[in-house]
Amino acid sequence: MSALWLAAAWAGAIQAQAQAPAAAPPRDTTSPGAYFGVTEYQQARQKLELDTQDGGFTVYIVGDMEGLAAVVRNATEMRPVDRGGTPQHERFRQELTDEVNAVIAGARAAGATQFIVNEGHGGTLFRNILPEQLDPEAILIRGYPKPIVMSTGLNPKIDAMMIVGAHANAGSPGVISHSFAFDSFTVNGRQLNETGIVAFIGGEMGIPMVLAAGDDALTSETKEMLGPLETVTVKTVFSGSAAAGLSPARVHGLLRAAASRAVRRARAGELKPLVLEKPYHVRFCLRRGYVRDDWVRTTVGRLPGVGDGGTPGCFVFTTPSAEEVGNLLNEVEWTVLKP
Amino acid sequence: MRIAVYLGLALLAGPLAAQGQPQSPAQQAAARSRQELFRAKHVPREPGFRVFIVPDMEGMGSAVDIHEVIAGNEGERYRTLTSPDYWDRFRLLLTKEVNATIAGARLAGARSFVVNEGHGGNMFANVLPWELDTAAILVRGFPKPLVMITGLDSTFGTLMFTGAHANAGSLGVMAHNFAFDSFTVNGKPLNEVGINALMAGEMGVSVSLVSGDDVLIEETKRMIGSDFVPIITKRAVGRMAAITYSPARVRRMLQAGAAEAVRRERQGRIRPFTMERPYRVELKLRTSYPDSVVAGVAALTEFKLEKTGERSFRLVTDSAREMGYLLDAIEQVVLR
Repeated sequence: MSALWLAAAWAGAIQAQAQAPAAAPPRDTTSPGAYFGVTEYQQARQKLELDTQDGGFTVYIVGDMEGLAAVVRNATEMRPVDRGGTPQHERFRQELTDEVNAVIAGARAAGATQFIVNEGHGGTLFRNILPEQLDPEAILIRGYPKPIVMSTGLNPKIDAMMIVGAHANAGSPGVISHSFAFDSFTVNGRQLNETGIVAFIGGEMGIPMVLAAGDDALTSETKEMLGPLETVTVKTVFSGSAAAGLSPARVHGLLRAAASRAVRRARAGELKPLVLEKPYHVRFCLRRGYVRDDWVRTTVGRLPGVGDGGTPGCFVFTTPSAEEVGNLLNEVEWTVLKP
Repeated sequence: MRIAVYLGLALLAGPLAAQGQPQSPAQQAAARSRQELFRAKHVPREPGFRVFIVPDMEGMGSAVDIHEVIAGNEGERYRTLTSPDYWDRFRLLLTKEVNATIAGARLAGARSFVVNEGHGGNMFANVLPWELDTAAILVRGFPKPLVMITGLDSTFGTLMFTGAHANAGSLGVMAHNFAFDSFTVNGKPLNEVGINALMAGEMGVSVSLVSGDDVLIEETKRMIGSDFVPIITKRAVGRMAAITYSPARVRRMLQAGAAEAVRRERQGRIRPFTMERPYRVELKLRTSYPDSVVAGVAALTEFKLEKTGERSFRLVTDSAREMGYLLDAIEQVVLR
């Protein structure tokens, strides 16, 4: 999910254009709770629950983009023209849709009966998948802001989570690696990347993360964080913006097969939810760019329950609820996204 | 109260662009007579059961963001609120929703279809005429009298709203209501569907189908009763975010729903929405509008408007149609 990342780059570009010492526009200091969609995670969960099957096998699929087949460059491939990108983004929207469809097809072949797809990439403000091209049985969660961006609506009736197009953690040697607004994010001392955070929020409800697809940095670090799960390595990283990739068609085949295996293994009880000890001791450090921003640093520091982490830009947060952690993430995200 | 200032979501109530206002008395008289001429017109008459469909865009399946429903040519403040998605994708999705609705109505015996553009994007020209069901008569462009139900009269057997959005101030996707922060008749809040249902009710035409997000459906039942067939296309989880069904699934629901709607209507199971007369219409202009808009509305001479607050007005009338003409006039002021 790279809303922050992109927004930061975008804001940077705008600032660069507006070099003239014009007075900065007034900062939007409204609290996150004042915006419908930032904090209504319970409501989103109830609403999605209305559509989640009781019997059967429901798969929740997060679609991010940096870890899709062939993607290497953020500036040109990851955001649309009207948000500072290029027309190439359109082709990768199709690729995202194709990869999600491949996962759905594979999961269905192994007996999954329902598919919920949640937009995980901020490039088009969480509107990347082409609705008309997506498997018509899937329910799609799109738009921004939405509660707990990458985990919107997760509820205990869901049986398994999968993520495609995932990217490696902030600081990892992956293509366009990052993690929300953070340079680091740990729960009980355990490093979690974005995939890990989704797995943690769903894990508390008993839902295992059963498939992750992305570059080799992502797949190896995610196995370390979460333990056994199916992975598809779509490319081998050579730099933050270069990789040796399998052809998209080949990736689709691998995704189908891996999704089938993942569902079979989940149904056999081989893949476990990520469960951490409560209360959760969260420690996170904002990205360096945000640490320098007094307003962001102070605002995040004042969010309910957030305490000083000892180092400037680092904070601690203790809670017995993973959903609360997701909610915190959301508020941090919204804080840095605001002008 | 939630505030959705972050994208300056001043939504298209409907009408958008300023039509230059004539200055001299002679020009004003000419404009009035043209207005009379246009108000008296009707769409071509056709035999058989007639369905009047009002497609809006905010409540369509999949649509969540203003960039998907704005063309960018509706005036200065909308220039940056478009994206290629509007032009390349959502107009076709909209057209297919309308086609599915027509197909369903036809299955249940309807024979005549009028589609009146209910969404202000591209100045009420969103449906793709070449992709629309060829039996349909399409009303497009702006301005048009009684903008969301232009051409509706008592020859129609039923009225359907697709892609409708929730009321101003509610927690629906792109929720808004014409030019208003609030709009009540006899103390009852009405959203855009409700306002048009009241005008239609006076013509003896009832609303048999409404599609949109879950918030819209719930509030509309409270406003006009539960006789209509409700189609939930998506569930709002933010002002610009939703849990949405696929376009294909929404089309299936619309087709089945429209057939059911026509059957209900032909069996006399749907009552037109009526309220007690005289109608006491209380409206409050959007806080985001400049004072000049308030002054402009206060200066409308065609109506017996009473100013009741800083930006609030009251109209007492026996004619819902007159209320509709007032709405048209207010939109013209807003966009002048």
